Amino acid sequence: MNSKLFGLVQTEWRWLIAIYLFLAGAGSGAHITGVYADFLGWSKVAAIGVCLGWPCVLIGCMCLLGDLGQIKNAWRVARKPDTSWIARGTIIISIFMIIGFVHTVLWIWPGIMAGTDDGARHFLGALGAFFAFGTMVYTGLLLGDAIPIPFWSTVLLPILFFVSALSTGIMAVVLAGVITGVDQEQLLGLGRVDILVIVVEGLVLAAYLHGSYRLPNSRMSAEHLLRGEAAGMFWGGVGVCGLLIPLVFEALGVHGVGAVAASILGLIGGLCLRYVVLAGGAMYPMSAAGFEFRPVCRPKDPMPAIGKLPPS
Amino acid sequence: MARYGMVIDLKRCYGCYACMLACKVANHTPPNVFWSRILKGESGTFPNVVRQALPVLCFHCESPGCVKVCPTKATYANEDGVVVIDKNVCVGCKYCLMGCPYGARYTVKEWKSYFPEGLPLSEFEQFQKNAWEEKSGCGVATKCDFCTARRKEGKEPACVAACPANARIFGDLDDPNSEASLRIKRDRGFVLKPEQGTNPKVYYLAPR
Repeated sequence: MNSKLFGLVQTEWRWLIAIYLFLAGAGSGAHITGVYADFLGWSKVAAIGVCLGWPCVLIGCMCLLGDLGQIKNAWRVARKPDTSWIARGTIIISIFMIIGFVHTVLWIWPGIMAGTDDGARHFLGALGAFFAFGTMVYTGLLLGDAIPIPFWSTVLLPILFFVSALSTGIMAVVLAGVITGVDQEQLLGLGRVDILVIVVEGLVLAAYLHGSYRLPNSRMSAEHLLRGEAAGMFWGGVGVCGLLIPLVFEALGVHGVGAVAASILGLIGGLCLRYVVLAGGAMYPMSAAGFEFRPVCRPKDPMPAIGKLPPS
Repeated sequence: MARYGMVIDLKRCYGCYACMLACKVANHTPPNVFWSRILKGESGTFPNVVRQALPVLCFHCESPGCVKVCPTKATYANEDGVVVIDKNVCVGCKYCLMGCPYGARYTVKEWKSYFPEGLPLSEFEQFQKNAWEEKSGCGVATKCDFCTARRKEGKEPACVAACPANARIFGDLDDPNSEASLRIKRDRGFVLKPEQGTNPKVYYLAPR
């Protein structure tokens, strides 16, 4: 445990929430990619994107449910949409999943209206893309509304999560596309879009960390990522796997096995990004009368003597 | 209606942790749960260094961040101004733990004994476990409620009663003549992290 963050960093939201944020982002990104491909007339890519979208988000929601302490109350979770982003997000995500499901059933599998009614399909796809956009931004706003944690409470976080969600969504579609043997030119076309998205993501990430580092209250969080305990996962996972390798592979126009590898690494990078952002979520210490107060023991860490029999 | 609040005189507090323990005894909190706790701070450079203790608890804010983010209406301020949690409604999403600027909220997945695992529970531990599960429960958010049970019996909260230095004053902030209100006014009481806009009802008096 980083001694600077000790007692201040949140320890409750870990991998399950990171997976939830990641899958919600990647799923809605895939849906938007699918709808984009549908407008271009790439029907196979469109089918992959839409079919990948809502199930990913659904699996993510399962992770969120798994993290809840009292799952029997989960039905109440949308009761206060006026102030709580979890309640708002539940509504947005539910609508998105319903639209994605209807889209899939009507036009893809079993495809009741397959091949007919392009206008309605485009309309439903665009409506789904709108709620997919909501889902992507919501994952950032969920953390951004935790005002006591200055590392999250910034306008750049929703933007970062949106761009990352778009990038991971494209990579998920490319991954599934290579496996199912979609036309190479279309996948390379998606890759070229992804280059732009990755460049923007890198810039937003740099701006986000720079801003966090400059603010005294969130500085320790940024340090935790840049050279603290999360540095390995940040530089290796987010920087190299999530940004650099996919960027280089897509710029070189690699296809086949290379594209699969780049997409998998890119998806891992997206997951690492969610995890390091969660891991850096620390409150700033309370201060009064010139003192900065910190806990002397680790209240939320188990003490070695508690709960274990002493070695005999 | 009363609007309960507290004043903590940092001049008097010497960081003995009596409030922390009294809270544990009164509320049967399991390991790693500290509804009332003490933080320590240092200031100055060697050899002129001063150490100061800061007792913290739930501040029962006027506009609480935890209530704002709760998606289920499980946490709310009751008519006394005390922020409470309905354990039958709480979903355990832990969003309120992120929404509280003071780290006053805790949650435990399952009840644990203070004694090593594998030993049978003593009668007292069983009592503690039942008391915790009845009042707060596992998997849900828990926090200080200004000792609701003790107040019903006409007693002060446990941390106030236990303080050997009389550093804590509990009272009705709506009553301008209560000791708490008078001390806040006279000794210029301040709150922690005022920039968060939560308007805590626990005030502090400056150490020097």
